[in-house]
Amino acid sequence: MLRWLARRIIAAALVVFVVTSLVFVVTHVFTDPATVSLPLEASEEHRAQRRAALGIDRPLGVQYWDFVSGLVVGDLGESFWQNQPASKLVLERLPATLKLVAGATAVTVLLAAPMGMLAAWWERRFPDHAVLGFSMASISAPPFWIGYLLIIVFAVQLGWVPTFGSRGFASLILPSFAIGLASAGRLAQMTRRGIVEELRKPYAVTALSRGFSRSYTIVHHTFRNVASGFVTMTGWELTRMFTGYTVVIEVVFAWPGVGRLAVQAIEGRDLILVQAAVVVLATLVVVTNLLVDIARRMIDPRVELA
Amino acid sequence: MTATDDTMASEAGTGAADAAPPEGVTVLADLRSHLRKSKAGISGIIICSLFALVAILGPWLPLIKDPTKQSLPDRLTPPVGWGGTWAHPLGTDQLGRDILARLIDGARISLLVSVTAVIIAAILGTVLGLVAGYIGGRIDTLIVSAADVQMAFPGVLAGLILVAAFGPSVWLVIIVVAISSWMVFTRVGRNLVLTLKTSLFVEASELSGTPSSRVMWRHLLPNLVSSLITLCVLELAAAILAESAFAFLGFGVQPPRSSWGLMIQQGRNYVTGDGWWIVTFAGLAIAIVVLGVNLLSLWLQSFNDVAEREQIILERPGA
Repeated sequence: MLRWLARRIIAAALVVFVVTSLVFVVTHVFTDPATVSLPLEASEEHRAQRRAALGIDRPLGVQYWDFVSGLVVGDLGESFWQNQPASKLVLERLPATLKLVAGATAVTVLLAAPMGMLAAWWERRFPDHAVLGFSMASISAPPFWIGYLLIIVFAVQLGWVPTFGSRGFASLILPSFAIGLASAGRLAQMTRRGIVEELRKPYAVTALSRGFSRSYTIVHHTFRNVASGFVTMTGWELTRMFTGYTVVIEVVFAWPGVGRLAVQAIEGRDLILVQAAVVVLATLVVVTNLLVDIARRMIDPRVELA
Repeated sequence: MTATDDTMASEAGTGAADAAPPEGVTVLADLRSHLRKSKAGISGIIICSLFALVAILGPWLPLIKDPTKQSLPDRLTPPVGWGGTWAHPLGTDQLGRDILARLIDGARISLLVSVTAVIIAAILGTVLGLVAGYIGGRIDTLIVSAADVQMAFPGVLAGLILVAAFGPSVWLVIIVVAISSWMVFTRVGRNLVLTLKTSLFVEASELSGTPSSRVMWRHLLPNLVSSLITLCVLELAAAILAESAFAFLGFGVQPPRSSWGLMIQQGRNYVTGDGWWIVTFAGLAIAIVVLGVNLLSLWLQSFNDVAEREQIILERPGA
């Protein structure tokens, strides 16, 4: 287990290294932060001055070394849009993003597990079709549109929750649902399929034929065997959230998270800050994948030590 | 999936030996009789063809107004049924432009971006998957690690950094959507090749000295086609959603061209007041098209599911 863990952590660190290096290539080889920050008609003199100020006039190798050694100690460069260290700006926004992803995950799990079980319980009957309908609708609608519909109905018409911003728990509800519904739809179908397959296996057939009810067998026998897949899929959804729709939903709800910071930094032509936000989000994805692997190993020891 | 391909392979084998009707014909017939029994498949095909027709024929459709023509006196006209007139069936936006016309114009961009991106991803991903699975060795390790890294670096992040570096454009969105989906084709293609590689017909052609490029192209690829088409449809749904998200963030098409995501971005200041229809109809358009694509993919998956397919073939009259 320990050796497996060590190997897994080294592999994860390597992936982070490769991803950040790719980011560096885009931001420093194909273009550079000074060019991006200046308008097209800026004079050559002005450009050179900005390059010198950002240290981009030095050889690429030196810059890359600086970048990598900075990463190790958590230095992600200086944001010239805000005149502050980029890492500080990103880390300030990180808790908000984590809170949002936690809320969305709660929505996902709390909706998907019961819906999947209900659909499997009444296979090919009304609840099954209803859950399938929900899943198809939720994965087909763009999350940012769901966000606006939720705003129109629950914030504007009913006035139950704030329209946007992050003031307390109430304002977390709508964005969590906007992100979580699609994940719940996908996960509910996975759960249903998993349970239905398990119910055909001899141990479940035996349990059923000994007179255990279908619901008891699902909850106590089959769901445990589906749990490992459930955790993996939840992890998948988590990484999707970190990098996909959280960015968009943060913009919709004016949520002060890392994704919105990155979008604002693009508008502010601050390549260093965008780079910092992307590096942090990519690292989160890798760490999430690592944690999911570990969790899966702990739930289901049969998972091979690959 | 493996089982399907084994059946397909044996079908292809027997088909050649008996000189029975060519395999393509029976598969198409199966497909048609399967479709007739599947509501999801039929609705999916209808929605997708309507979308394609509207996107392709857009500007030549009768009674459609100019999507860029502004008319400030008509701004924020509500749709028919909410006090609007048939002059603007779905109302107008904040600049008095006809929403129906803009939706139809936006369909072109969605179709162009998503289909191009999926084609690029499918070609690139399949070639890499074939090579990785069939050649193996170091090339395999390299391609698999590249796919793993890509998994950890999803499209939106790549999109953020590329837009920050090069500025927004439609081509950039196509590239970003393509690079966030190639590895799906690589993984599926590689896994299928690994199981096919040991089958008799591949070994036979290898023993008779067929060059590996020909084995991959003529013997392996045809066996991947059905799975890869299913995957293309699935990825198309993701691509349409991704395109709309990028357009919404302002990273794709720039005004005055319209795109469904961009319409939602421009109409969002009116959601809370008098103008809910801009965001609602644009989002509805995306949702309906993606639903159509998802239904199509659901049906294709069930057709590829061998047990279900045999059931259908058995039920076919005359079989």
